[in-house]
Amino acid sequence: MKNDNINHAEAAAAFLQDREQARWHDSAIWWVRQKRDAQAKQLPEWEQLRSLAQQIKAHTLSRLDEYLEQFQRNAEHNGVSVHWAADADEHNRIVHGILAAANVKKLVKSKSMLTEECGLNPYLEQRGIEVIDTDLGERIVQLRHEPPSHIVMPAIHLKKEQISELFHKELGTEAGNNDPTYLTHAARANLREHFLTADAGLTGVNFAIAETGGVVVCTNEGNADLGTALPPIHIASMGLEKIIPRLEHLGVFTRLLARSAIGSPITTYTSHFHRARPGGQMHIVIVDNGRSDILGNDDFYQSLRCIRCGACMNTCPVYRRSTGHSYSYIIPGPIGSTLGPSRDIKKHGSMAFACTTCGSCSNVCPVKINLHEQLILQRKRAFDAGTLKPAKKMGLLAMRFLTRHPSLMDAGGKVMRKVVPILPQTLTQHSAWSRPGRELPEMPAQSFKEMWRARQEKKHD
Amino acid sequence: MTSREQILANIRHKRPQGPALPDIHAVPFIRFDDLFAAFSNLIGNLGGSAVQLQPGESVLDAVRQRWPQHGRLVDLTAATQPQTAQPHDWHDVDVAIVPGEVAVAESAAVWVSHADNQWRSLYFLTQKLVLVVPRDAIVDTMRDAYDRIAIREHGFGSFISGSSRTADIEQSLVMGAHGAMAALVVFV
Amino acid sequence: MKVALFIPCFVNELYPHVAMATAELLEGYGIEVVYPLEQSCCGQPASNNGDSQGACDAARRFTGVFKDYDYIVSPSGSCTSHVKHHYGWYIAEDADYQRLQPKVYEIVEFLQDVLQVDKLPKPVYFPHPVSIHQSCHGLRELHHAAPSELMIPYHSRLERILQLVDGVEVRLPERRDECCGFGGTFSVDEPEVSVAMGEDRVAQHEATGAEFIVGADPSCLMHMGGIIRHKCRTIRPLHIVEILTGRGGAA
Repeated sequence: MKNDNINHAEAAAAFLQDREQARWHDSAIWWVRQKRDAQAKQLPEWEQLRSLAQQIKAHTLSRLDEYLEQFQRNAEHNGVSVHWAADADEHNRIVHGILAAANVKKLVKSKSMLTEECGLNPYLEQRGIEVIDTDLGERIVQLRHEPPSHIVMPAIHLKKEQISELFHKELGTEAGNNDPTYLTHAARANLREHFLTADAGLTGVNFAIAETGGVVVCTNEGNADLGTALPPIHIASMGLEKIIPRLEHLGVFTRLLARSAIGSPITTYTSHFHRARPGGQMHIVIVDNGRSDILGNDDFYQSLRCIRCGACMNTCPVYRRSTGHSYSYIIPGPIGSTLGPSRDIKKHGSMAFACTTCGSCSNVCPVKINLHEQLILQRKRAFDAGTLKPAKKMGLLAMRFLTRHPSLMDAGGKVMRKVVPILPQTLTQHSAWSRPGRELPEMPAQSFKEMWRARQEKKHD
Repeated sequence: MTSREQILANIRHKRPQGPALPDIHAVPFIRFDDLFAAFSNLIGNLGGSAVQLQPGESVLDAVRQRWPQHGRLVDLTAATQPQTAQPHDWHDVDVAIVPGEVAVAESAAVWVSHADNQWRSLYFLTQKLVLVVPRDAIVDTMRDAYDRIAIREHGFGSFISGSSRTADIEQSLVMGAHGAMAALVVFV
Repeated sequence: MKVALFIPCFVNELYPHVAMATAELLEGYGIEVVYPLEQSCCGQPASNNGDSQGACDAARRFTGVFKDYDYIVSPSGSCTSHVKHHYGWYIAEDADYQRLQPKVYEIVEFLQDVLQVDKLPKPVYFPHPVSIHQSCHGLRELHHAAPSELMIPYHSRLERILQLVDGVEVRLPERRDECCGFGGTFSVDEPEVSVAMGEDRVAQHEATGAEFIVGADPSCLMHMGGIIRHKCRTIRPLHIVEILTGRGGAA
């Protein structure tokens, strides 16, 4: 679980202390952005594909209740049990109920940001169920007892040396062997044992098809597939926005997801689950947890189109230089910075300010969410909720006043231009502007207004 | 009120206006001149390879050519289907030969499924996965593929593209995360 | 044709020569330029910090000051974009604003789309390599160029207008349009991230071998300039109008 009190600016400043690691983090993730560009460029229809995805999702949200009901009918017709959870707690109770009824001791999980959001792992562990995250990156952060720092690449904040050390301690790998292939295969052997001995498997859901009542799970590792093919029970947890109307729509979304997320044409496994195996059980838990409230907000409902590809994080210049751990909400980066404040503006409002409003996120988004605009609009809510620091709020109120009185603003500007050059450096070097290594601009003798007035007078002379 | 009723009522009350569903077939998608070449080039980067059987050659010939020495082999394309008591029993399979229905040139993916849903653990437990696809069952894009599969008849089905892989450690691509370490697609 | 100059508040105080070059450039094409002295901040800082009352007041004030001119032209992409694309959040229904909105232009857009210039008022010889800095709001909101994220045909207003300058050699930095990290009050809310971004950006511009970083937004140039001076580097930020008026060398 994540600490809600993280302040992005402070956490990012701490991360940037190790400039070499920070540069590595930036370029490793930028590389994924470049792979995304290369894949997108290969499709002449890329921008039209984004528009199709946007329209399908926008349509679905406008009739979400109907599609959810249709989905449930079809899933139940297929023999799948469908459960509804109003909030995180109900989700956790439902999952625990299913597991307890079957006397499950070990659960293998594939990646699911929803279960992170709900805090499922600690809930089950407190009730005596062993939970094994099976995605390699998730397993690494689980063993480190920390949250994922990225929704697609959970351990991207770590260097291989750190992972080698962790695996040496936890899995008994050779000390000092940092080879990613060696480390990955060690985890493979260890997790195979868990797959073969698990009593139940839980997956997230990438898409839920209303027309057929099935769910689609995409992984590169195959962990969702092993985790559901071996144990007799499969639980799929899904946010209620994962619905798409028809099977044919996967012909749009499976083309966008992996290209946007990791710069691959598709994930290795795009698996469609419609029925349990003979003798097995399949459950789908549909979770609201605040989503239906976002649906009613004109400014933010578009965020429910998100397909969790993570492309907005990969392109975000602030995210790349601060890591996911600098954001207070479990989902970091641009999409997290609108979802978090939507969930709780007091706790997560400051995330909306961790953004230069450059707009790159809105352009990479495969479902065309107006992400950078949403962050500006979340700032309105942060301001109105009284979460701004007093000094900042005072500054804004002063700015309101000066904007109404340009002559006072001019006077203030003149004082600034005259005083700043004679200030001792010891005074300016600790300002937020100068502290990290940036000089103040040179102060010209005259403002443009003064120059213009003089010029006009000269003309009239 | 149950949670279900509560959630649906809240959505009904709050749902925004939206556009009609677009016709996804109205947009022209990429086409390939040589579907096999596109498939084959792509899968080479994804931990797999693709071959077209030559006249007189069998799938087993292609497998033995690729892996002259292999361990336990299970062939789901054979006339008599192998049986197991539980899905775990495939854990020591080295080579699995599995029928694939459709191959997709743009993604090097092959649709794998079985109506009664009982062999699926084999697809993921095997060390080497061999997918056997009719050579005329190769399409351009995922859209074409979805037009051809009858998904509801299958309890489970998967598009599999190359071998299992991960880049979770420092973005270094490693083949063989949890599923097959290598993949071979044989067009017959 | 009567064109009103919209000079953002910080440009008025800190970059008066950029404002003057903008005026002279327009006058060079025979345009009557007026500078309404009662203008003030456009309200972007208020908007970007969630102060909707302040943003709304500023938007109404701006509309009142500028509504009667044929065109409103500014040397800042970001402030232009705020007026053109974000006032709608506050005063979309205002009839005066609806009339004003299509008349607001960033200077390069105005030269290319309204005046459709094919030469400069006075020939300019600028025999230097320059690295193009695409500022984010100009790029992604005013569509100054094809953003690297979008799979659309390449175009770039800055590169196109520099074709009118003799001798200049245009270069593009690695990551051709990554943000410099200024971000308005972001620069002081998150100074460490802001400067880290700026340092990377300056280094990428330097790596092209250019002598100047050329852009159309004084705020980004101010931020990068502060980093350049702190590190005592030789590359110099330059606003596009300074080159187009032939003052680049002296800046």
